[in-house]
This record gives sequence, C-alpha cells and structure tokens, in this order.
Amino acid sequence: MGIIYLMLIVSLVIALIFLVSFFWATKNGQFDDDYTPSVRILFEDELNQKSNKQTDGSSEV
Amino acid sequence: MSELNCYHCGDEVIGKGYFIEEKAFCCNGCKTVYQLLKDNNLGAFYSLEANAGVKPSESSIHKFAFLEVQSIRDKFIDFEDDQTVRTTLFLPQIHCSSCIYLLENLTKIETNILSCQVNFTKREATIIFKKEEFTLSQLAVLLDKIGYAPNFGNRSETEKKFDKTYLYKLGVAGFAFGSIMLWSFPEYLGLGTDNPEFRNFTSYLSFAISIPVVLYSANDYFISAYKALRFKSLNLDVPITIGIIALYLQSSYSIFAGNGPGYMDSFAGFIFFLLIGKWFQNKTYKTLSFERDYTSYFPVAVTRVVEQTEEITEIENLKINDHILVRNEEVIPCDSILLSDSAKIDYSFVTGESIPINKFKGDFIYAGGKLIGQRIELKVEKESNRSHLTQLWNDVKTDKKNATSFLYQDKLSAYFLAIILVIALCSGIAWAFVDPTRITQIIVSILIVACPCALALSAPFTFGNVMRLLGRKGLYLKNTRVIERINDITDIVFDKTGTLTKGSSHHVEYIGDQLQKKQLEALYALTNSSTHPLSRSIVHFLRSQNIFSNEEILQFEEISGKGISGQIDLMNIKIGSPAFCGQNAIDTNETSSFITINDSVKGRFVFTSELRDGISELMTSLHKYTLHVLSGDKDKDKSILEEIFPNNSQLLFEQTPKAKHEYIEKLKNNGKHVLMVGDGLNDAGALGIADVGIAVSEDVFRFTPSSDAIIEANKLSQLANLLSISNFSKTVLKICLLFSVSYNVVGLSFAISGNLTPLVAAILMPISSITVVLLSTLLVRFKK
Repeated sequence: MGIIYLMLIVSLVIALIFLVSFFWATKNGQFDDDYTPSVRILFEDELNQKSNKQTDGSSEV
Repeated sequence: MSELNCYHCGDEVIGKGYFIEEKAFCCNGCKTVYQLLKDNNLGAFYSLEANAGVKPSESSIHKFAFLEVQSIRDKFIDFEDDQTVRTTLFLPQIHCSSCIYLLENLTKIETNILSCQVNFTKREATIIFKKEEFTLSQLAVLLDKIGYAPNFGNRSETEKKFDKTYLYKLGVAGFAFGSIMLWSFPEYLGLGTDNPEFRNFTSYLSFAISIPVVLYSANDYFISAYKALRFKSLNLDVPITIGIIALYLQSSYSIFAGNGPGYMDSFAGFIFFLLIGKWFQNKTYKTLSFERDYTSYFPVAVTRVVEQTEEITEIENLKINDHILVRNEEVIPCDSILLSDSAKIDYSFVTGESIPINKFKGDFIYAGGKLIGQRIELKVEKESNRSHLTQLWNDVKTDKKNATSFLYQDKLSAYFLAIILVIALCSGIAWAFVDPTRITQIIVSILIVACPCALALSAPFTFGNVMRLLGRKGLYLKNTRVIERINDITDIVFDKTGTLTKGSSHHVEYIGDQLQKKQLEALYALTNSSTHPLSRSIVHFLRSQNIFSNEEILQFEEISGKGISGQIDLMNIKIGSPAFCGQNAIDTNETSSFITINDSVKGRFVFTSELRDGISELMTSLHKYTLHVLSGDKDKDKSILEEIFPNNSQLLFEQTPKAKHEYIEKLKNNGKHVLMVGDGLNDAGALGIADVGIAVSEDVFRFTPSSDAIIEANKLSQLANLLSISNFSKTVLKICLLFSVSYNVVGLSFAISGNLTPLVAAILMPISSITVVLLSTLLVRFKK
C-alpha cells in the first residue's frame, strides 16, 4: 500500500513542475502573442527566395 | 484611362499619380516607401498581401522632437547598456502579416537597428538599436516615414499586468483541479471508505491545494460580489460566490470531520471554468477595443518659449504664464490665452461641435481642442497634465448611459437568487420531517448545485463571439453592453450627409457660361493634379463627358481649404471657393467650386451627394423599425428619400446638431429606444445621447469618442444583417439559459433528494459549463 503514497507524491511533484513551468512561460511572454509567431515562421524562406530574385534594384524615378 | 489603385496602400490613384516601372502610387509617400523596401530587398512585403501598405503621413521633424528630452525619452526605454537600447513602441497601424514582415526586417533598412520583434496582438514592436549611432527620435521618424507612426500615449502598464494575472490564476486553478480529481478517483468509484487512512491523507492534501485556489484564483468573484452587496445591488457574482463559499465550507467540514474529500474537485473545477470564461472575455476585448487610439492625440510634450528660444518640455512641467507654441493638428494642452492674432480651434472631441471655432488675440482657450492651421503662441493660464486631458475627452454622456443600463444577466441573477433561496428553504422544511440531521447538508448542496456557473460563462462567450463576428463584417462595438442595447432598439435615426450619401464622391453639375473644349481640357488637367475630393469629382465628371488632357501645367498651386490655380496654354485658371475666385457666395447651403479663367468668372461646379449603394434595399430590410432621417441640408433631396424610405418614416430637414440632439431626446422621452447612425464628428452630440450611436467611418482606425460602435462606410448597406446578428445573440443567450436551467433542475433534484455525491457533482458541473461554451460558440458560427 505504501507505493500508492509514493505515486501520489510523485504525481503532485510532476503537476507542480508543470505549474511552475507554466508560470515561467507566462512570465517570459509565451502567451502574450499567439498570432505573430505563426506568421513569422513563414518569412525566412520567402525572404531568401526574394533576395535571390531581386537583384535589379530599380533606379530613382 | 481606367481607375488605378496605389500599389502600396490600395487607395485610388488620383490625377497623374506617381510611377515606378508599371506600378502606380497615390502619393509621394507611398512611392518612397516602395522605393525604400525595394532597395532593401524587401519586395516580399507586397507578395504577402496585396496593397498592404499604410499611407505615410506628412512627417515633420518637429513631430518627435520631444524624444530628445532625456526625461521623456527614458519613459519609453525598457533597457539600455553601453552599446544598445531596447524600446517597446506601440504602432497602431499594424494590421496584417505584411506589416509584421516589414517591421521585422527593419534591420535591412536601417543598419543601426539590431532587431525588431512585433507583437501583433498588442500592436507593439520591441526594437533594439545601437546607442551611439541612433536615437529614439530617429527611430520614430523612420517608423513614421514608412507609415507606422508610433503612438507615445501612456497606456498598457495596467493592461499588461491585468492580462497575466488571469493566466496565473487560471494555472493555479487548473493545477488544483487536475490534481484533486486524480486523488478523488477512489471516491468516484465508491472505494473511498475501503482505506480510511489513505482517504484522510488525500483529503488533507486536497484541502492544502485548494487554499491557493480560494485565496488567489477565486478572489475576483468575492471582491465583485462584495462590491455589489455594498452598493445594495445584485450581480451574477453574488449567487456564484454563495455557491463557491457553500461548496468550500461544506468540503472543508467534510475533510476535517473525516468524511472524505467532499466536493473539492468540483470547487477547483468551478473556478477553473469560470476563469476560462473571464480570460476569453478579456481576450475578445483586447482584440476589438477601438479606444486604443484614444491617447495618440494627446501631446506628450510641448514647445515652450523661454527668452526667444524654443525648448521642449513635458506638459506636467508647464507653469502659469509660460509661453508655448502649438502647431497645426496639435492638441491644446492646457487652458491658456491666445497671444497670436487668430486661431481656429476644433473642439469636436470635447463638445461634439465639428465646426472649428475662431479665436482672436487675447481670447481664452480651453484645453482639449485641436489647432487647425498655422502655429500659434499661447500663454498658460492653468497647469495641466495628461489625466486632465483624458478626463476632458471621456464623454460624460456615454458613461452615464453605461451606468444606468443594467446587464441583462444582473437582472436575471436577482430572480435566480430568490428562486434558489426559496427552494433551499422549502427543502430544508421538508427534510425537517424526514431526517432533521441532514438539513444543513441538503441546503448546502442546493446552494452548491445551483451555482450559476454555466450562466456566467454563456454571456462572455456569446457576446464575445458575436463581437468578433460583427468585427469581421465591419461593425466594431465598444463593449458588450452595446449588444444588449441594440436588442431593445425601436427607432433608427439616420443622418443624411456622409451617412446615407457618400462622403467623397459627388454628383457634379456645371452652371455658368458655355465653355470651349479647350477650356474644359485645361480644367481637366488642373483638377487632375489635385487630390482634393471635389477635384476628384470634377475629374470624374469631365471624364464622363469625354474630356481628357495631359496638358502641361505651369505654376501649379494648391491652397488647402481654398482652391487650386495654374497656367495652361496661356490661360490663368483658378478653381475654388468663392473668396478664392473673388466672388461672393451665392447660396451658403450649396457646395460649389468657382472657375475663373484669366480673372473672369466663367461659372461654377455644383456638387450634390450621391446615395450610397444598397441604401434603398437596406431601408426595406429595416421595416421592423421606425425610421427617421435628420438632415442638416435643405430639402432638395426630399423626393429621392421619400421614394426609398417607408411611408411612416419621418424625414426632417435643416436640422442643426442641437435640433438633432433634442429630437432624439424627445424620442427617448416617449419611451423609444433609439439607434442613431451618423457621421462621427458632426453628429457627436446626437450619437452620444442615443441609446446606441453608430458612427459611419471611411477609416475605422479613426477615433470617435461619443459613439458606441463604428461601422465601415461600405458596410452600411449590411446594417440590417448586422443588427439581426446582434439580436441573434439574445436567442443564443436564451438557449444557453434554458440549458443551464435544465442542468440546474437535474442537479437540484439530486440535491433535494439528498443524492448529490461528489461523483454526481464532478460530472454535472463540467458538462454544463462545456455545453454552454460549445453551444454559444457553435450557434454564433452557424449564424454567419
């Protein structure tokens, strides 16, 4: 029966670890913005493609 | 010549436009931004979203000069060391993925910027730049140049913290909810009594974990209920708090009496779900709030003249008798006396009166007005600060309106509470005959199960979803109370000019001497060079008569608010106001532009406005409301309006803003609920007094203090649909109410019969909350 107490404590500790990491993530702004990162991740590729293509650099009109 | 749209900002290109290769631009600003992006290999900006750009405003170096003042600058700096400076700026113009792309690639445009990270939701950018080579004001000028003028209004401090506490509270409640439920499993399976020692251990553990939930996560409900009771009123938080307290005390008693963990799992669950509702509500407000632009109009600093030299200082530092300079479009920061000869002040934000007031040397000028025209010098009469200005701009009328309107839910909660107490009392009496020892337990479980958790969730989710849906369709509401007020509307009052009629495009008529083709062509060339809306209308008019020209103009001059002039083919042409052309106005009610060729008046273009598309269909679909039109103009359009408006509509003309205000007041006194649709500035007073004031705006970023909602001008024809969506929210709420009541009935039957075991509570509670959330979300989705 003693094992169930141990498991209970372990479950509590694991839950606490998650709680603390949630706090840490919140504090670090992980949940501040749920839109920008989803857009940002798409940029890098696009940028490289474009910069390869665009070498003409039009002159001042 | 077909209509062209600006490659950068998407506006129609007026006149010759500016070209780079095949691409047309509406103004030099847009062209410059394009050039800048192209030179820095940021052309991808345009491939992400078409015409994504923001038209940059006419930038002046003075605009951000206050950032050179150390004390002001420091306010906006998050962090700095020997080499770098980090700042977070609020850029209200951020609106799409292209904006993120452009801003995050600022480093390519300006090498002194080391990094730029955008927060789209908050419309902020965190920028790190080199300390020695670059300054905050240079950064502001650069951002302004590419169309993202930073807003240096003071905000966000409280906003930021507020948002995060919700998340912390939610985390604590979720942690407790999950943990306690796990330990309660033996209890659910009926094994609780098998091992009393283990049961006691988990019970005390649950109790320990529930302490932060009751003290931290749930404290908003206690505070809100306490406040309501102190003001002798009821809100939904009162029955919720009673339920929570009953639940907590009962469970604690059970734990210390050695009777198992009680309902601690349900308690933590309750709080968890309630907080999710609040968090969602908060999130909706944040994405939709249109008051964000509020403070961008406030000056952070002013120019003070000390012994012939100008210096920049914070408003708070101004002393009585200081001399200050105020420039065009700037807000008067404090009550003062005019030292310059004359000034035009626009008080529309304070009084709702849109026509600028003329002030002369020695006149007293109240703070809060906006200067139109040349810069003026003022002598400070009264010290001021930003909060004073904010107060001035907070429309008193709107606040009063909010205070007197009860939330639909709050009304409901009074009945709710009464019914619950009666049921608890009756069952208590009944149980006195059956088994007097269980009376307390029965009454407590009734209070627990009746806790209107699901009801509390239904409103934020329904209103939140409706607000989002309306926002996507072009109607932006100030807050959820507006939805409730829209539901009661009986009468709709329309303004005519700028609301029913288009603000920018006009029907043009020429009155005067017959003009030769060559003269008309010259007029075309001249007006085509101007971006003024009236010039644009003339161009359209001439085009429809097959007049085109690409004639070279010499000495072109445009005097804002007066007219344009130029020399074409040896003709000196002037088009503009009567005074500009040396004429006396014939009819002050008429919008017209006079034409002089070689100093002799030839005639004038008369402008009448065109009805917006879809207006007549709109009027038919609004048949269930009584319609009114209040127009400031003469009744020349009466016959057209009579045709499209239903017979019982009231059409009134020559109404002053004051008369409009009184008319709506009269309607309200007759027990009507009035929706006013009008132009945000001219009808500010009427919009403020109406139950719901909707401002029609060509540009929804514009701030309209006294309105409850802003509608995109081209979406006005959808008004009937938008109102029905808003009304639909009432139906959704009723359905949710029905569901939560039926859950309560089921729960109550368990409680009254004495069968509310922790398992029953643990099942009923989340199911009711989740159903209501799903129901309100899905029904609103379905509606669109």
